[in-house]
Amino acid sequence: MIKKLFLPVILIIVISGLCLANSWKAPDQEKAKERSKETVPFIKEYVDDCKINRRICLMDAKVSLEDVKDVYFLLDSPVIKEKEDHYEPVRFAHKRHAALTKDCSKCHHFRPKDKDALETTRCSACHQDAFNPERPERIGLKAAYHQQCIACHKDEAKGPTGCKECHLQHVPDHKELVKLPDNADPFQVTAECNRCHDAQAEDMLKTAHWLWKGPSPYTTGHRKDILHGKGTTALNNY
Amino acid sequence: MLLSRRNFFKILGAAGASTALPAGSAQAWSSKAPDDPYGCLVDLTRCVGCRKCEEECARVNELPAPERPNCQCTIFEKNRRPDDDAFTVVNRYFTGRIDNFNKPVPTYAKVQCMHCQDPACVSACIVGALTKDETGAVRYNKDKCIGCRYCMVACPFEIPAYEYDDPITPKVMKCTFCYDRISKDGGLPGCAGICPTEAITFGKRSTLLKVGKKRVKENPGIYLDHIYGEKEVGGTSWMYLSSVPFKKVKLPGLPETPSPKLSETIHHSLFSYLWSPIALFGVLAAFMSRTKKEADNPDNKGGV
Repeated sequence: MIKKLFLPVILIIVISGLCLANSWKAPDQEKAKERSKETVPFIKEYVDDCKINRRICLMDAKVSLEDVKDVYFLLDSPVIKEKEDHYEPVRFAHKRHAALTKDCSKCHHFRPKDKDALETTRCSACHQDAFNPERPERIGLKAAYHQQCIACHKDEAKGPTGCKECHLQHVPDHKELVKLPDNADPFQVTAECNRCHDAQAEDMLKTAHWLWKGPSPYTTGHRKDILHGKGTTALNNY
Repeated sequence: MLLSRRNFFKILGAAGASTALPAGSAQAWSSKAPDDPYGCLVDLTRCVGCRKCEEECARVNELPAPERPNCQCTIFEKNRRPDDDAFTVVNRYFTGRIDNFNKPVPTYAKVQCMHCQDPACVSACIVGALTKDETGAVRYNKDKCIGCRYCMVACPFEIPAYEYDDPITPKVMKCTFCYDRISKDGGLPGCAGICPTEAITFGKRSTLLKVGKKRVKENPGIYLDHIYGEKEVGGTSWMYLSSVPFKKVKLPGLPETPSPKLSETIHHSLFSYLWSPIALFGVLAAFMSRTKKEADNPDNKGGV
């Protein structure tokens, strides 16, 4: 009997393994990852055009939405990453932004002095290391991203402006951090969580999860009990 | 004639003042500011109040982590000052500016040691525990410090803090300008390196002044035509650019004369060649010999 079961179990494991390995991945995600690792030579000279001039230039060059080949970028340049690595890369929907703003000059605000260069160069071509003594007025890549994104999102009252609205923070591997005995009881688990997350624990005590009271329409015996709840009669089990 | 106590001090004071003034102008006070120091330019229009500078400052200086590092919500409700646990803090101010949606616009301002060109704290320190370095940093040597806290009284920005809770080895605590980092090639102060919007620009002070003036010139509608710290108390290494008056973000209005100028002029002119103690004891000796003569005079015997 056991031998009969053995074969299908093995088959299921192998098939599911194959499925996982071939699981679907967004094609532009891989491309964006590759692209984000690239560095481009630094552009030293640029044309200091006014905003309107720049817009006319882009119109004259017939840059339109169709020219936006790269739909999606991951902002994860080694220029920044070499120095600090606190956050996961930001996902930037390039074409969507182009379509929404209908104005490429909002980001592509200057162009390289070299006439053969592309009308729209990437941010990291001009903005690289911060505080370059030779070009003190040129901001670094990190600042260029943040100033551009946040300022525009504030102006338009649209889009994220807080840190964690764009970035995912690196979460350290909790397998290493959590130290619990085998078969730990609930109290030990909570205490272990609170060891690092005590502020969150304090905050939780002020939320409805801890303080709720009122009728529980789906609990027998408490359907009309307005004084029942975690804030009043129910026991907190941890 | 016997001098009354009041008259004696009047004469002494007048004598002192009359000799102090020409002596002071004879050896004029000169600035000891470094020629080409580093500096930082804080652009308040760029600061988004993320408090990453506080977090990074605590990390590189091995200070306790700032209170609620990731919470920008309630921390700004109280106005904070740098203390012995934090070399820098960011405060939020509502200065009356409103955005296009009629919402008040906050202005965030970072506070830290300004690293004055002619620091009052260095002048006030009686043991030379505080020094102005060539890099621009006002450095503190804990081994020399005797804990008099004159620096705390002298500082026009009220920056130095003291470890009152440490009874054995208390230190004066203030921003170090990350001396260990900036004195190395390519080193950045922790806060300037971490700032996501480059609200803090690090560089040579002379370069920063140029950058600041260029920014003001190119965006006259945004910035006030004033770089705070360019001239305040004779210039500071840390400077501020703002769109709101500096008084509204609690940066004090200060004179352009370096703080140590007056005190050092008085001090140095009073004690040059030890003339003032010599004069004092001279006057005292003359006075004593005079009273002695009067006492020895037989006519005065039996008098009251």
